[in-house]
Amino acid sequence: MTAIALSGAASRTRSSSRVMATFRLHFVNYETVIVLPWLIMAFIFVVNWLIWWMITRSLTSATDLADAREGFGWSGAMFFIFVYMMVVAVQAVNLTFPLAQGYGVTRRDFYLGTSLAFVALSVAFAIVLTLLAFVEEATDGWGVGGSMFTLNYFGGDIWYERLWMFLLVFLFFFFIGAATAAIYVRWHTRGMYAFFAALGLLLVGSAAVATLTRTWPAVGDWFVAVGVDGLVLWSLVPTAVSAAVGYLILRRATPRE
Amino acid sequence: MNTVIEVDGLTKRFGSFTAIDGVSLRVEENRICGLLGRNGAGKTTMMQLLTGQDFRSAGSIRVFGEDPVENAPVLARTCFVKENQKYPDDYKPVHVFRSAPWFFPNWDAGFAERLIADFRLPLTRRIKKLSRGQLSAIGVIVGLASRAPLTFFDEPYLGLDAVARQTFYDRLLEDYAEHPRTVVLSTHLIDEVSNLLEHVIVIDEGRIVIDASADELRDSASTVAGPRTAVEAFVAGRQILHREDLGGLASVTVGRLDAADRQAARAAGLELTGVSLQQLVIRTTTIDSPDTEGRRSA
Repeated sequence: MTAIALSGAASRTRSSSRVMATFRLHFVNYETVIVLPWLIMAFIFVVNWLIWWMITRSLTSATDLADAREGFGWSGAMFFIFVYMMVVAVQAVNLTFPLAQGYGVTRRDFYLGTSLAFVALSVAFAIVLTLLAFVEEATDGWGVGGSMFTLNYFGGDIWYERLWMFLLVFLFFFFIGAATAAIYVRWHTRGMYAFFAALGLLLVGSAAVATLTRTWPAVGDWFVAVGVDGLVLWSLVPTAVSAAVGYLILRRATPRE
Repeated sequence: MNTVIEVDGLTKRFGSFTAIDGVSLRVEENRICGLLGRNGAGKTTMMQLLTGQDFRSAGSIRVFGEDPVENAPVLARTCFVKENQKYPDDYKPVHVFRSAPWFFPNWDAGFAERLIADFRLPLTRRIKKLSRGQLSAIGVIVGLASRAPLTFFDEPYLGLDAVARQTFYDRLLEDYAEHPRTVVLSTHLIDEVSNLLEHVIVIDEGRIVIDASADELRDSASTVAGPRTAVEAFVAGRQILHREDLGGLASVTVGRLDAADRQAARAAGLELTGVSLQQLVIRTTTIDSPDTEGRRSA
């Protein structure tokens, strides 16, 4: 009796094909990942456009109109898509991971393929948002001075600055979602309690340190100095940490009910 | 003969609970192997360990000669769609059958379509809205159509009706004849599959209690029935697995009988019958052996 081995290079399935298969797995139901969020976006846009239109129609003085336009710039109407993508990431790790395990995918190949899908979605969506921002500018706020994609928070009128901002925010939400879901898959409800307890302690602890050392003004100054753009750039740190930690956690996780 | 699965001294502990307790076994290539046992006996854990989904506490596992954990070449040749397999919330069966071929090099789309028709599975209904039997059908279809060289079925037909179960057995046998592969099947419906199995492994409380070919098992026990005194005389000194008394009659299940034994039994006017696989499993997994008592606290 001999043990049969996986002989020959030809019979060994390349890991890269499993990575790409996992990548595709996240798009097999593209309605949820691509169609639905943009339908929601379109709906929000239409509602917003009607509101901009009503407001600008009802205002007569030039100063009021300028005020209103300035106010439109503080909209958060498109932020839902970032949260939506975080939920996509949570579902990918919590539900697609067990399926991929059933399909015989290693955790490593799953994580690589999944990360690739997150990056691809981030890049694609960031490009679309950037294009929409330029259309918004070119049409003087869709003809009514509205703003949904050119926002006051983000400076930067240069295309790559806009693209970069959107990209980093997407990546942040994807990988935070993935890492949090990995904690759940590995340690279940108890892991969630521990994680949120630790997060709460960290935040309260930091606040306590700032209070005790009377450094709140310095903290405030730092945020002002860094600005939204800088803050988005700083998000790369938690994004990268989440991506790495997410893998380390998932590497020893077993899908269970 | 080639060995596909080799397990030595395998142990899996969850905290203080030992789910798999020093198990050693071999499964040969191109066999249908039954992994039988009661609820909580360790069947699912065993399959999760063999497919690298779970991590062993001690011992060694070789699947296709290699450790299956995080081993892409090995896992690419296995398929394990669990009885309680999770699917993404928004999935419909069509999404499973569209994506599965990307992962299984031997996937047969025509076979999958035929199975979908056989099981009358609605393709575009959300998986969450499917009945228990329809949910099981998805796993059965993936398991069969994937034609993975090593396929695990864990309680594959929970909720499937008798017709659908028969369909599963028929399709499995047909396809297995044309495309030999190694199948490990866990089930509670032992009598239904007993003709299907070529090898039987019975696991109880994390230990192997039977590991034998189906043929060996069929001869491994017999029931001797007749007048009590004659039965008692015949079974004296033999391993007794089970005993039933009814008035002056007795029916005793004993271990292997050779030709001479059978001759003697018939000469004594006793009736000999074979023991079904299900009966055998029940007899071997209900005996309270003292050494299993302390296991949970070990």
